Amino acid sequence: MSLLETKAITVRFGGNTAVDDVGLTVDEGRITGLIGPNGAGKTTMFNTITGLQKPASGQVLLDGDDITKLSPAKRARRGMARTFQRLELFLSLSVRDNVRVAGDILRSGTRKRFDLDEETDKVLERTGLTDIAGRDVSDIPIGRARVVEVARALMTSPRVLLLDEPASGQTERETEAFAGMLTGLAAEGLAVCLVEHDLPLVMRLCATIHVLDYGALIASGTPREIKESPEVIAAYIGTEEASHG
Amino acid sequence: MSTFLTYTILGLVLGSVYSIAASGLVLTYNTSGIFNFAHGAQAMFGTFLYWHVTERWGWPVWLALIVVVGLAGPAMGAALHAVIMRGLRGTADVTKIIVTVAVLLGTVYLAQWIWNPDEAHTVGMFFGAGAKITVGGVVVRYHEIVCLAAAVAIAAGLRVLFTRSRTGVVMRGSVDDPDLLRRNGHDPERAAMLSWALGSTLAVLAGVLIVPISGGGLDANALTLLVIDAFAAAMFGRLRSIPRTFAGAMVLGLAANYVLAYLPSAGTFTGNLRVSLPMIILFTVLVVLPQDRLRGAAVRTRERYRVPAVRAAAVWAAALVAAVYLYSLLLPESGVTTFALGMTFAIIALSLTVLTGYAGELNLAPLAFGAVATVVAFHFGVEGTGLAARMNIQGVLLAVVAAALVGGLVALPALRLRGLYLALATMAFGEFLSNMVLRDTTEHHLFGTTFTLFPDGSLVVPPLKVGPLDLRDGTTFLMTATVLFALIAVGLAALRNGGYGRRLAAMKDSPAASAMLGQNLVRLKLSVFMISAAIAGLGGVLMSSATGTVAQENFSFTGSLALLMLVVVAGIGYLSGALVGGLMAGVGSAVLVSTFGDLALANEGMATIYTALGHLVLVGTALVGMGVGRNPSGFVHDIIDGYRAMRDAKPVLYGAGALGAVLYVLALTDVIGTWTFALIALCAAMLLPVVGRSYLAERRTRPVPLELAGVDEPYTDELRARLDRELGLTAALEKGGARVTA
Repeated sequence: MSLLETKAITVRFGGNTAVDDVGLTVDEGRITGLIGPNGAGKTTMFNTITGLQKPASGQVLLDGDDITKLSPAKRARRGMARTFQRLELFLSLSVRDNVRVAGDILRSGTRKRFDLDEETDKVLERTGLTDIAGRDVSDIPIGRARVVEVARALMTSPRVLLLDEPASGQTERETEAFAGMLTGLAAEGLAVCLVEHDLPLVMRLCATIHVLDYGALIASGTPREIKESPEVIAAYIGTEEASHG
Repeated sequence: MSTFLTYTILGLVLGSVYSIAASGLVLTYNTSGIFNFAHGAQAMFGTFLYWHVTERWGWPVWLALIVVVGLAGPAMGAALHAVIMRGLRGTADVTKIIVTVAVLLGTVYLAQWIWNPDEAHTVGMFFGAGAKITVGGVVVRYHEIVCLAAAVAIAAGLRVLFTRSRTGVVMRGSVDDPDLLRRNGHDPERAAMLSWALGSTLAVLAGVLIVPISGGGLDANALTLLVIDAFAAAMFGRLRSIPRTFAGAMVLGLAANYVLAYLPSAGTFTGNLRVSLPMIILFTVLVVLPQDRLRGAAVRTRERYRVPAVRAAAVWAAALVAAVYLYSLLLPESGVTTFALGMTFAIIALSLTVLTGYAGELNLAPLAFGAVATVVAFHFGVEGTGLAARMNIQGVLLAVVAAALVGGLVALPALRLRGLYLALATMAFGEFLSNMVLRDTTEHHLFGTTFTLFPDGSLVVPPLKVGPLDLRDGTTFLMTATVLFALIAVGLAALRNGGYGRRLAAMKDSPAASAMLGQNLVRLKLSVFMISAAIAGLGGVLMSSATGTVAQENFSFTGSLALLMLVVVAGIGYLSGALVGGLMAGVGSAVLVSTFGDLALANEGMATIYTALGHLVLVGTALVGMGVGRNPSGFVHDIIDGYRAMRDAKPVLYGAGALGAVLYVLALTDVIGTWTFALIALCAAMLLPVVGRSYLAERRTRPVPLELAGVDEPYTDELRARLDRELGLTAALEKGGARVTA
């Protein structure tokens, strides 16, 4: 059984169907890719999985439990964490406090007690943010800001981590370091789901890839299978033509 | 049957006017994204103009209508848009709300300046009150027919404008995506200006129509609030739909009249209920209204606040207590009392700092929570009678708890709401309280006890006495209030620096991300709202006892708005902003106005000028509030930045300290007057950063970091030489015999 699973998710905005009958799985200890052309419904899927968007029909299962009706906060407390494509950093806090506040929140609801300072330092160290920990989050480069979002998510010790285009805006070197970190996290048993436009990166990192096009799931499989899938090639070449013509 | 018909027609007429006012509001909200709290004030100002030209200048009605509704109305709206509103794109909700609140206050102050509120101004019905027809035994006046016809025509016209015409489509699009419109060759600013002109015209028309049907008397405050009742109608249409707004307005008008017709008229209850009905409906509609889903998009606002460390806050708090004590020695007894009143307002202002500054939520009626606490303290905490009467500490504590609980109760249903909607809900509560509770002078019999909530329309609130601490003495009161302010301020600094404060900041910056980390937003908002209400309650009880006798006016909606505005102007994110804003709202303007009033009485020759100056103080504060869009962090921020830069200019600081000490001794020994001292000290405090800056500029020797050469500093030859030297270029270049000239 997969750790995270969606069953026949359909999302409508007014009369438009943004996501149509999509079922996908995300497994522990692996990086799962979710790709597709712009407007394919990737972020809408993320919003549905995390509870920011109510689906018209379908289910979201975490560890076999139906969590479709739970609030985002409750899902987070069950081990779900995400980053945002449009950055959602806490602009009035420093880099360190952006990470630390995730621990504050976690501690406020439960009786869990651990040393927040130490934990924060560990996460900063691991994500390579120690050198800018004291800076205002509003004046660091976008590539690093994306890493802050990841660090903040990691602070909640999640079981599933959903990353929405984490590499966009990163330099090549930053992406390299980032890829290494993700592989490491997966090796420790975290289930990672990655939405990304950098296809070579996705092909390299992911064990399984799901492809969305116009809200529908058109292929699922290993990178090799995806590369050879005629539907995927058609979808990508189709959009290439559309965007160039 | 004829009663029913009569009240139905009256209800429809009132609904018509609500509909006209509300559709103007919907219009401006849709095209500019600004909810115009000043809508009622525009109506009020236009109606006063109408009175002026018809009554004072004796113009015929038709000419007055053309000039006031047809010209002054649109001109007022267009000017508002051009001068103020168009600069508000991309600012936070709080800023937008405060700016329109400032316009509201400024317009009210201006109207009270031009048209003396102590004189009666009445506006008659069109065609006179005698012009009427009788339909089925029911009398209908011509004026009422005009109201009905105008409302139907305007609703239909706006509907066609929005859905059929090109201009209307551009108007609707200009708030959602102005850039897209611009790319398509439309001018969103022109559409917005047009809608402001139209909205303002509708407001003025509504004002001219509503005054005669609600008694004919013109009062700046009352008329402004009367039109605010139309907000409820606009909310029926979720601030979007004109037909639903129209329907909502009719429901509102009918409900108000049926209450009058069918509820018992004994006592104050029915009358008060009728007045509060629109606000009760507004609150209900807000709560029932389907919610926007939690969307992403962290607001990139321009407000920036520094957070003080707890230790620094404690040092400043101690300094404040000392400074206030030393200053109180200079003041006469009346001055000490006034100062104490101001300090209680500063405590209420702290409730806004934590709620708005830290958590980003709005409360438009902080004084209402002060009123709740006052009523509780009055009923449960007063011991003794007459001059010996004292408030006991249990009463105050109970009052604070009650304020927190009521805060929670008000907020609980409204907490799913955000920004503007929560602000409107607090406004509705404040108005409801002011009309239902603070005017409730009848005896109630409940569970075998008899009580009157607000006997005689006013409460005598005695000073607090705790053990040996008796606040009857002015200086004791002042120092107690100051110490309480200091303690709460330090507590809030600690709160902001802790995990709770970080969670508040996170919620304020991005509710979506904070929920995704596991934050229960409703619980967090509820807790901060209750903390805020508790602080407002404490400040409110102290404020009431500093005032002595309080009535409805002491907790008025405009009072709350003025306090909020001044705190935002000073800096809502700062504890010192609460101090400055609270003092200004509580006593600052009152002291200046009364000083100018006294001067006017003393010098008859200069009386007009002094009276004008007194009014100008009030209008001036509102003008500063309108400018808050340009400096949303508040002026305390600039002062703090100025002083921060002075840490290196020690001699200047020492010099200023010495000057202050000398001045103080001079004032204490009556060589200079208290006023002179206050003025010189204030000027010196303001000028100090300027002096410090020039001092620092003179002795700046620190070399510029090389990376910043040419960025922060002009690119001089000397710098160029240094760059070459550091990069080891000199030798290479000289060897080649060439020199690069940039």
